[in-house]
Amino acid sequence: MPPAAASNLDYTPPDGGWGWAVVFGSFISIGFSYAFPKSLTIYFKEIQEYFSVSYSQIAWVSSVMLASMYAGGPVSSILVNRYGSRPVVMVGGVMVSTAMVLASFGRTIIHLYLCVGVIGGLGLAFNLQPALTIIGTYFQVKRPMANGLAMTGSPVVLSTLAPLNQFLFDCFGWRGSFLILGSIVLNCCVAGSLMRPVNKNALPKLKAEPSECNGPAAEEAASAPSANLLTEENQSESRSQGCVDKLIDVSLFRHRGFLIYLVGNVVMFFGFFAPVVFLAPYAKHQGMDDYSAAFLLSIFALVDMFIRPATGLLGNTKWIRPRIQYFFSFAVSYNGVCHLLCPLADGYVGLVVYAVFFGLAFGMVSALLFEVLMDLVGAHRFSSAVGLVTIIECGPVLLGPPISGALVDIYGDYKYMYYACGVFMLVPGIFFFIMHYYNYKKLDEERRQAVAVDMRTCEEAVELKTSQDEKTTHETDG
Amino acid sequence: MSASWKQLFFQILLLLISCRHINTKTPGPTSPPLDPISPLPTLERSYVLKGVSHTERVELLNPVNLSLMCTWAGNQNKPSNITGFWRKDGEEIENSRVTVQLENEQYNLKQKFSIVSEENLGSYSCVFGGEAKIDFDLAAPQIGDVRDKPIVSYVGDSVVMTCKMEENKPKPNTWNWYMANDTGKEQIFPAAEPQRYEIKNDGWKTKLLVYNLTEADSGLFYCGAVYPISTTMSHVELKVISFYEPLKPFIAIVVEVIVLVAAILLYERSQSKKDYTAAGNGPGDQTNSLTPGENNALEESSSMRQRKV
Repeated sequence: MPPAAASNLDYTPPDGGWGWAVVFGSFISIGFSYAFPKSLTIYFKEIQEYFSVSYSQIAWVSSVMLASMYAGGPVSSILVNRYGSRPVVMVGGVMVSTAMVLASFGRTIIHLYLCVGVIGGLGLAFNLQPALTIIGTYFQVKRPMANGLAMTGSPVVLSTLAPLNQFLFDCFGWRGSFLILGSIVLNCCVAGSLMRPVNKNALPKLKAEPSECNGPAAEEAASAPSANLLTEENQSESRSQGCVDKLIDVSLFRHRGFLIYLVGNVVMFFGFFAPVVFLAPYAKHQGMDDYSAAFLLSIFALVDMFIRPATGLLGNTKWIRPRIQYFFSFAVSYNGVCHLLCPLADGYVGLVVYAVFFGLAFGMVSALLFEVLMDLVGAHRFSSAVGLVTIIECGPVLLGPPISGALVDIYGDYKYMYYACGVFMLVPGIFFFIMHYYNYKKLDEERRQAVAVDMRTCEEAVELKTSQDEKTTHETDG
Repeated sequence: MSASWKQLFFQILLLLISCRHINTKTPGPTSPPLDPISPLPTLERSYVLKGVSHTERVELLNPVNLSLMCTWAGNQNKPSNITGFWRKDGEEIENSRVTVQLENEQYNLKQKFSIVSEENLGSYSCVFGGEAKIDFDLAAPQIGDVRDKPIVSYVGDSVVMTCKMEENKPKPNTWNWYMANDTGKEQIFPAAEPQRYEIKNDGWKTKLLVYNLTEADSGLFYCGAVYPISTTMSHVELKVISFYEPLKPFIAIVVEVIVLVAAILLYERSQSKKDYTAAGNGPGDQTNSLTPGENNALEESSSMRQRKV
C-alpha cells in the first residue's frame, strides 16, 4: 500500500476490519442525505394540485430541505465533536423519520416546509457529517477507497428510491408514501448503530518519526520537548480560546489548505449541480421525448455509480495518493471542460456521449470532495472543517440552479448556461492546481524543518541523558 | 282577383302536401337525413384511395353539413361501372347504393351528411363494389392523456381530480363531471351538495374537488368536455383507503429497524465482553470508559503539537 500523507492521529487507524462495516453504514447515511431530497420531487405534482399552489412554491420544499441540510453542518459538527458520530446519526435518523410522519398529516404547504424542509433537512445534516467524519477515524492508508465507496451511496440510493417512491405513490398516494418513507429513512439509525467509535487503545501506537536516537533515549527525547511545546502552546492558545473554539475549530480559517479548499469550492458549487438539474430539460429542448431525456439521466447515474469507487481506488495508488490534490484539481477542471464542450454535442448520440463524460466528471469530483478535505486538515479537525464548509457552500448550492435558470430564460438558449457552468468549474480547477502546487511546496519545506528540529532536540536530549548518566555514576561512585 | 287567390291557395296546398310528404319520410335511427333542410355551415372532406382501405379522422366542433368525397383508382380490371354505397358504423345506409362510372380512370363517390348531434357522429364509410373502402371517423376533440392509474386518497381526506384538454385543440364550452353508479353515469351538481363537491372550470382544464371522502366514493369519475356537437368523455379512477393500509408496512419496517439495531448493539456488547475477559483489567478498560468528549480533548492536545509543525 502506498505511504499515507501525514497523519495527525495519535493511533494507527485499523484500515479494515470493522471499518468496512462503518463504510457500509456511511454508504447508507450519505446515500439518504443526498438522494432523499431529490427523490421527493416525484410527489410534487400531486401535492401541488392538492394544496392548489404553483410549481415554484412546491419546489421550495426541496430548496428548504437542502438549505437546512447545509446550514445544519456546524451544529452537526459541534455535536460530533462532543458526542461522537453514532448518537448524532441515530438522532438524525429519528428526526427525519418524525419529520416525514408529521408531514403525512400536513394540512397546509407551510406545514410541509417546516416538517420536510427544516426538520427533515436538519436530520439529514446530522446524518451526513458524522458519516464522513467516522471514515477518517477508521481509515488512513485505504481512506480514498473508503471515501469513494461511501460516496457511492448517493447514486445507488437515488436509483433505488426513485422507482420505490413511484411504486409507493401508486399504491398509497402521497400521504401514505410519506408515512412509509418515514419508516424507510429510520434505517439510518441502523447505519448509525454500525458506527462504533474506534477503540483507540486496542490498536498499536503510532510509531514516531525515525530519528538518529535509539531506545529509551528516543522516547524521553520525544516526550520532553513535546511537553515543553505543549505548555508553551497551551499558554498562547488558552488566551485566544473562546467559547466557540471549544465547540468548533474556528482556527481552521487560518489553515492555508482549508482556505484554498473553501475559496475554490464556493466558486465551483455555483456550477456544480445546475447541469444535472437541466440535463433533461435541455434534452427536451433539443426535441427529444420524455423517455429519452429520462434515459440520459439514467446513463448519467449509472456512470456516476461506477466511477466513484473506481476513483477511490485510483486515488489510493502510490502515484496519486501523495499528490491527491492535483487529482482533485484535474477532476474539477475536467468538469469545466465537459460543460464548455456540451453545446457542441449534436443530436441524441452527442447528448449520450456528454452524459457519459459528465457522469465520469461528476463522480470523480464527488468521490474526492471530502477525501481531499480530510487530506488537507487531518481526520480530527475534519468534523469542524466539513461543518464550516457546508454552511458556507449553502449559498452557491442554493443560488446555482436559479441563476442558471435565469440565464436560460434571458437568452432563451441553454448554451450560455453551459458556458457559465463550464467557467465556474474550470476557473476553480486551475486555481486549485496553482494553489496546491504552492501549498505542497510549503508543506514539504515545513516537513523538512520539522525533521531538522526533531533531530536537533533529539541530539540535545541524548547529550543531556549521557551527561546525567555520568553525574549519577559519579554520585554513586562518590 | 279570385283567380290569383285560387292560385295562391293552390300553391299553399301543394306546399303543405309536399311538407307532409317530407315529414312522413322518417329516417331510420341509424341513417341520417340525406337531404339537409336547415341552414348549417358546410364542410368538405375528401380522400383519394391508393390501396384497399384507409381511415381518416375528422374533428368536429359544431353542427355542420358535411360533404364527403371518395376517389378510388380501381384495381387490375377496371370495369366501366361498379356499385358504391355508404355505411355508418358498419351498417349500410338505406338508399345510398349508386352505380359509379369510371371517369378519368377513377371512381368517385360523394355524399352530403347533416351532422347535428351526437348520434350523427361515428364512422362513415364509402365502399366501392365491396372491395375498397375509406372510413371517415367523425368525433369531437378527444382528450389525449388519460391517467391510467387510480388516484389514492384517504377516508376523511379531500381529493382533487383533474381533466385536461390539449391546448392545441379547441376550447370546450364547459365541463361536466359524472359519477359512475349502478345505472351508468350520474351528473354531479355541486349546488346540491356544496360541502361535498366543488367544480372549478378553467378553459382547457377542470378540477373536481371532493371533500370528506368515504370508501363508498371509490370508483370511476367521468369528466365531459362540452362542445356544441357533443361531449367527449374521459375518466379518472379514485381509490379511497383507510389509514391502516400504509400503517402496516410502516410498523413492519420500524420493527425491522429495531431488531437490526438491537442485534448490532448486542453483537458489539458481546464482542467487547470477549475483549474484556481476554485482556483482563487492562488500561484498555479504563480508557474505554472515557467519553468521546474526553477523547477529543486528548486529540486536541496532540493536534496543538501538530499545529506548530
